[in-house]
Amino acid sequence: MAPQRMPVTVTVNGSDHHLLVEPRHTLLDTLREDLRLTGTKKVCDMGNCGACTVHVDGLAVYSCLTLAVETDGHEVRTIEGVAPPDGLDPVQEAFIRMDAFQCGFCTPGQIMSLRALLDGNDDPTDDDIQTAVSGNLCRCGAYRNILRAGRLAADLQRARRESEVAR
Amino acid sequence: MVATEPRELRSVGQRLKRIDSPKKLTGQERFTGDLRLPGMLYARLVGSPYAHARINGIDTSAALAVPGVAAVLLAADLPIREGENPLASDEAIYNGQPLAIVLAESEAIAEDAVLLVDIDAEPLDPVTSIEEALREGGPQTRFSAAHVDEAEARLHNSDAGAAEEKVLPANVTNTVDYRRGDIAKGFADADQVVELTITSEQVHQGYIEPQVTLVAPSPLGKLDVYTSTQGMFVVQNKVAQTLGLQASEVEVHQMPVGGGFGGKFGLNEAMVALAAVAVNRPVLLQLTRMEDFLSANPAPACEIRVKLGGTSDGFITALQADLTFLAGIAPSSPLGIAAILVGGYYRFPNMEITGQEIISNRPKSGAYRAPGAQQASLAIEAAIDELARALGKDPMDFRLQNCAVEGDERPNGGAWPRIGLKETLEAIREHPIWQEREAIRQRGHGVGIGVGGWPGGLEPATAVCRLDADGKLTMMLGSVDLNGSNTGMAQIAAEALGIETDDVNINVGTSSSAPWSGSTGGSKITYTVGAAVQRAAEDARKQILEIAAQRLEASADDLEIADGNVQVKGVPSSSISLKQIAELSMSGDGGVDPVLGRGASAITQAAPGFAVHMAEVSVDELTGETTIHRYVAAQDVGLAINPALVEDQIHGGVGQGIGWALYEGMAYDDAGQLMTASLMDYAIPKAEMIPNIEIILVQVPSEHGPYGAKGIGEPPAVPGAAVITNAIRDATGVRVTHIPVRPEIMARALDSAAAAD
Ligand code: FES
Ligand code: FES
Repeated sequence: MAPQRMPVTVTVNGSDHHLLVEPRHTLLDTLREDLRLTGTKKVCDMGNCGACTVHVDGLAVYSCLTLAVETDGHEVRTIEGVAPPDGLDPVQEAFIRMDAFQCGFCTPGQIMSLRALLDGNDDPTDDDIQTAVSGNLCRCGAYRNILRAGRLAADLQRARRESEVAR
Repeated sequence: MVATEPRELRSVGQRLKRIDSPKKLTGQERFTGDLRLPGMLYARLVGSPYAHARINGIDTSAALAVPGVAAVLLAADLPIREGENPLASDEAIYNGQPLAIVLAESEAIAEDAVLLVDIDAEPLDPVTSIEEALREGGPQTRFSAAHVDEAEARLHNSDAGAAEEKVLPANVTNTVDYRRGDIAKGFADADQVVELTITSEQVHQGYIEPQVTLVAPSPLGKLDVYTSTQGMFVVQNKVAQTLGLQASEVEVHQMPVGGGFGGKFGLNEAMVALAAVAVNRPVLLQLTRMEDFLSANPAPACEIRVKLGGTSDGFITALQADLTFLAGIAPSSPLGIAAILVGGYYRFPNMEITGQEIISNRPKSGAYRAPGAQQASLAIEAAIDELARALGKDPMDFRLQNCAVEGDERPNGGAWPRIGLKETLEAIREHPIWQEREAIRQRGHGVGIGVGGWPGGLEPATAVCRLDADGKLTMMLGSVDLNGSNTGMAQIAAEALGIETDDVNINVGTSSSAPWSGSTGGSKITYTVGAAVQRAAEDARKQILEIAAQRLEASADDLEIADGNVQVKGVPSSSISLKQIAELSMSGDGGVDPVLGRGASAITQAAPGFAVHMAEVSVDELTGETTIHRYVAAQDVGLAINPALVEDQIHGGVGQGIGWALYEGMAYDDAGQLMTASLMDYAIPKAEMIPNIEIILVQVPSEHGPYGAKGIGEPPAVPGAAVITNAIRDATGVRVTHIPVRPEIMARALDSAAAAD
């Protein structure tokens, strides 16, 4: 009963991958097992916690609810692809400054949710920020600081962009 | 806001950033489930479909035929040498109990095979509730031999407070009995008496990282155990014992823990080790969320009845309480702690506290952040609130008039050491929300307060440090950092040695190499390991000063450490750098001993911690939904080693308290089947359910902790349910006594209150 594997070409964090995957395999398992990108976490595997959040074509999705075959021809970005080569993303920077993580297990998912928000909108309201992470559970209680980090990240992002424009 | 300022310190007391920052933000941190080894197999469990059943046979042939399945192990296949077999064979005693382990080349293959394992089982009557457990002639949790040992254990297991040893009814595994004064007279003297019974459901620790263990037989004959645990040495001993190995043959690698909260003191390590040895290949088991709900170690359900009497001049005269914990399949409930706390926050001249633990066909209970305290607080704080109302007293003044202070006796004998309960209550009393509560009530909102206490944890600990060639200090520990404690350890070491926190490197070794220390839990790591760290750094400082004294031809007493140098006090020109000292001590012709500091602590007096919280809530009359508008958490922390990290702990505790109060409960049906086995059915609070939390740190220094610090992890998780139900009472006039206060429970309570009017 070995299932037929299907060819999938997917861009992950900027590089192209040609993979053979079982049709039932999730993007989450493919990232973790085939590409060994383990920053994306498997927690509930059924869309209830947000720990597996990645971007597909710039939108935040639960990778446990996305089949790998669906990403054929699309662009995937994971937590490993967020930081610029020489430093940290404004969201990551803000997480340090606002102390927005504790055990760190939910953190990649939280960061991906906020990054997707800021990719589309660099002046979000508090409600926007709360909505963006409302599907990401954190048991350590970092919520309030995560929301503060979202606000700071937006500020940092605007400042970075303005300084780029000035240059 | 810090109520009292500590003496002048440089590192300790600073809001420093976490030392583990970048890796956890970039996806580079490796947790146990992220590891892969050559030849590794993925394990999946075959769980019992019944809460209680006789197992007639298990057919694994179809599962074994699946390509990629390496083995399907049953109880008899495990090379167990001592202790209970982690797989059931003749009798299953809870829904989800592991009966077989499938090992396969991938997780998906293992999952396929699990479905093909055929279990021939005959369901038996389960014990699923307190009533069933105590019913005359009712069911028992198991028919097999293990029960005989339990009956035997019951004979001896009565708590110290018990009047005499007696044979307990079936399914009752433990009792407590604490008495003081004359209870009948106490109630006779009372002007008002109130009585209520609170009930709480079984809840799960809800760590986001599931239970996970990887065990690899090493070619050198050792067993490597990589695991997410709060207690590496506990795991080492358990694995060694179960497999009949020397402890030194088991090397536990302490992995980062993605949340533990009491639920990770060793669970599946021995089982995974047995499987790995059985097939002689590395085996990884990461529980699925459903397996974790079914077979890990949640906190037990309980019922507490409280009767309280007081006089019109505002004094409590008598407390009578009876506690019942519905533990899982083995004695494992926090009955004793709950009993001590029910009778511990206030002065009760006459007291009678009784309690019992019952076992049931549910998974073994575990610790969950301040085990027993949450329920105890709910019971006593609800009763105190009601008694104050009955007596026409202000609930804050009434608490302040009766609260325990240093020297007051605890139910189990012995006096409270220095505690900051009164100071913490006072901090809340001064808060504007409390001052303006009348106006708040006019708006239809209610304000509630509640006390949460924790007796404090103790376990000896050691730490070792060395001066590195670059002049920095490496501190070696054997205790895991759960939520930032290593940052605090670096601050303590820096303070004691006189260097910058950045110049301290904290290194948690494996069970083979690390200095021994107790498990992380019970709010004791900073208190006990922190004390060892302080002493180790002080020891290193002494050695450094001696070397410098020789070199500088000065007396060690005249030296100080500043800016990475040892110098003659006030004469910076006469100095030697720490780097030079390190080089000297490591060179062949230096003639001085390398610096190796050691510290140990075996503190015998715990530092109890108290939190007082306050909430402003409103309740939707139609839906019964409770909204928390504002939340204030005051806590006596002794001294905050790092206020930012202390506040993080408080945020987390408050969030879990809100979960207890409003959302979380594991529901079982009459057949003992878990009905809430996913994060969809079991509601862990989301961001929008947690209000802003204002934090007030009160600092009543402990006598033995480093720089006066106390354990701070448990107390903030304690008062939540008491505070919120008291606030609901204030807002609606209705006393809810069951948690979680689901909207439907609340709506029904409002309806019956309206009908009664
Ligand atoms: S693992 Fe995907 S949402 Fe939980
Ligand atoms: S930081 Fe631990 S779960 Fe969010």
